[in-house]
Amino acid sequence: MRNFLGHSSRRLKAAIAFPLIGLALFLLSNRVDELRVYQGANVAVFVVAIISIILLTGYSGQISLGHGALMAVGAYAAVLSQIYWHLPVILTFFVAVLAAAGFGAILGSAAGRLTGPYLAGTTLALAVGLPSLANQFGFLGGEQGLNYDVGLPPAWLGADFTQYKWFFWISGLAALIITWLSFNLLGSHYGRNWRALRSNPTAAALMGIHVGRSKVLAFTVSSGLAGLAGALLAMTISLVTPSAFPTSLSFSIVTGAVLAGVTLLTGSIVGAVVLVAIPEITGALATHLGGSEKVTSNLPGLLTSVLLIVAVLLFPNGPQAIMKRTRKSSQ
Amino acid sequence: MFERRRSKRTIFALATLAAGALAVTAIPAQAFNVHTTDGVTPTTIKLGITIPLTGSAAPGYNKIPAAMIAYFNYVNDNGGVNGRKIQLVVKDDAYLPTLAVAKTNELILKDKVFAVIGALGTANHIAVSKSVNLGRRGVPDLFLNTGFSGFADAKKYPTTFSLFPSYIMEAKIMGQYLKDKFPGKKLGLIYQADDFGTDALAGFKQAGTNFAVKVSYASGSQSAQTAAGWVSKLKTAGAEVVVMFGVTTASGAALATSAALGYKAQWILGSVGGDATTLKAVGVPAVVLTGAIGASFLPAPTDTSDPYVAFFQGINTKYNGGAVFDNNVLVGMNTAMMTVQALRAAGSNPTQKGLVAALESKGSTFASAGLAPLNYAKGVHVGYNGYWFGSYNSSGELKPVGGDYSVYTTDSGAGAIVKSTYVRPALPANGLPTN
Repeated sequence: MRNFLGHSSRRLKAAIAFPLIGLALFLLSNRVDELRVYQGANVAVFVVAIISIILLTGYSGQISLGHGALMAVGAYAAVLSQIYWHLPVILTFFVAVLAAAGFGAILGSAAGRLTGPYLAGTTLALAVGLPSLANQFGFLGGEQGLNYDVGLPPAWLGADFTQYKWFFWISGLAALIITWLSFNLLGSHYGRNWRALRSNPTAAALMGIHVGRSKVLAFTVSSGLAGLAGALLAMTISLVTPSAFPTSLSFSIVTGAVLAGVTLLTGSIVGAVVLVAIPEITGALATHLGGSEKVTSNLPGLLTSVLLIVAVLLFPNGPQAIMKRTRKSSQ
Repeated sequence: MFERRRSKRTIFALATLAAGALAVTAIPAQAFNVHTTDGVTPTTIKLGITIPLTGSAAPGYNKIPAAMIAYFNYVNDNGGVNGRKIQLVVKDDAYLPTLAVAKTNELILKDKVFAVIGALGTANHIAVSKSVNLGRRGVPDLFLNTGFSGFADAKKYPTTFSLFPSYIMEAKIMGQYLKDKFPGKKLGLIYQADDFGTDALAGFKQAGTNFAVKVSYASGSQSAQTAAGWVSKLKTAGAEVVVMFGVTTASGAALATSAALGYKAQWILGSVGGDATTLKAVGVPAVVLTGAIGASFLPAPTDTSDPYVAFFQGINTKYNGGAVFDNNVLVGMNTAMMTVQALRAAGSNPTQKGLVAALESKGSTFASAGLAPLNYAKGVHVGYNGYWFGSYNSSGELKPVGGDYSVYTTDSGAGAIVKSTYVRPALPANGLPTN
């Protein structure tokens, strides 16, 4: 009984907290520089992408280095549904989720039989190969890409309401909803099944959890979220093109998830902020060092990789876990 | 007990959040955003450019920014524009639309440039126009390094001004040239599979050119391997005259590979991919280029009898470290000289709106090296509208066919192709505009 009450009060708190966070973000977006608003939109996109990795790796224990490709699937699905079916923008996001989830379900069925480095290798191959398919088929627009236009902000928001603020609103709202849904999903018996699976698949199977089905389900849900992140990413550049989904994107979001602490949903914001800050930091660094353009364009990748290594070595459970530990020891 | 502490903490956190949000609303918006004209101070004007400095399309085009900076520095050393020194912020987009959008965002939001000058690449700039939407922001977008006809739409792109004749114009004029000089020959075409190529096809269609074979390539895919595929298609179709309508690295791959495979044809290079020094740099032997035909709207960069070329070569020696003076350097310096005139025309307290208006009203009178007329007017945002044809000699110099520059002009529609009688304004004294 007490457990039940505790559970519902947790949901109640979440139900109050999420709208409040949304309100705070909304107010903030009216007050800061447009560059920060644009970066905020990118942070929101990465939050969704990182949550998709947290669900997959942090909970069901599967590794994916191919989520960049799943993002591409979502983005292409969204833009094609807009071009050929003339769907309203909001529906194209759902199409992105469904298409990527469908693709993920197929991939997950194969992936469910693989573990560790084999799974990583398979998904990596996907990240390398899939986006460049667009260059092979004319209707995918090649490197020039397809324009993905979410339209101007509605007129009632006023003439001062910039395009980037509109992007921020859309992606921020999406990120909040996804965080809230994932929060509930992971608190449900699915979340518990996945955690059991991750800790010990044999024990989980003995407890009556269908290992294969659970793994595929996790992969499917995670892929759907990645698809949404892809569509949102495409929105921020108004374009779907292979170069928007490079192999390094997959590594970036895995790095973001590790920095978030792969089991901590709320950590996703930390990871996302770091990912958006990296180009800014390297840009400043390159100006300071007076390096050439070649240095500037390669520095972000280097820093991301270094961060991943450092994070895995020093705080494998994320910086928040360290904070928790120091708090506990001080009590 | 533990539960109660937790819920207390949550309430405290929520309260802090709410208070924080309220505090943020209490700060006046101006505190965050002091708005002046972006990029202009009493002593400086900041401009920006995105261009491929790395990647598959970079060779050649990566020389343009340095050439622009060289001319700007010369002007700065002579007092600048109305006492303001010109700064050019250069960003590498690697010829990728995604990066072009990201880098233009940096120029507009972070560097807060007054105007974007000489942005390169059709696909890149279409993406930039959609996403960053320079028009809606009112940021001038001048002297694009692309001839995509779509940018001529001044309603859709109110602040965008092209410099090059459109690719439709180029293809039309080239089609007429093919008809005059190579009647009855089997024709081949290599073009880029995007809007750059679509324009070319539209122009050739307008001119009534029939190609026996058309080969398209995806942007960024050009290499010796892919070029072997192009050449085999041309060979199979028996093309005797081949039009190469692509970027320089693609022209280079096509020429070098066809030489290696022993395929001989009369090559006609579009203006985009016809710079001789770049072609040599990417491995095309001089002997292969000799006899090929090229098109340009500027004088040949090796023509030292041309006062503009001679002057820019001097600037190149003094301010550009004596870089190899080619068409890219010439384009860069010419663009810079036109930029200086546009800024002067915008008055002593330039605004972004004023700059656009000044180009519309006075842009057609600017001194420039171009041999075709500049057509800027209210609602007309395309600069040059004509080409002359030349033939590459054994040292890679483009020499006008028939001895002197005969420029043909046309429009992007069904208009006729006419021989131009335009005489360009003389080079301003010391190359310093006084407009």
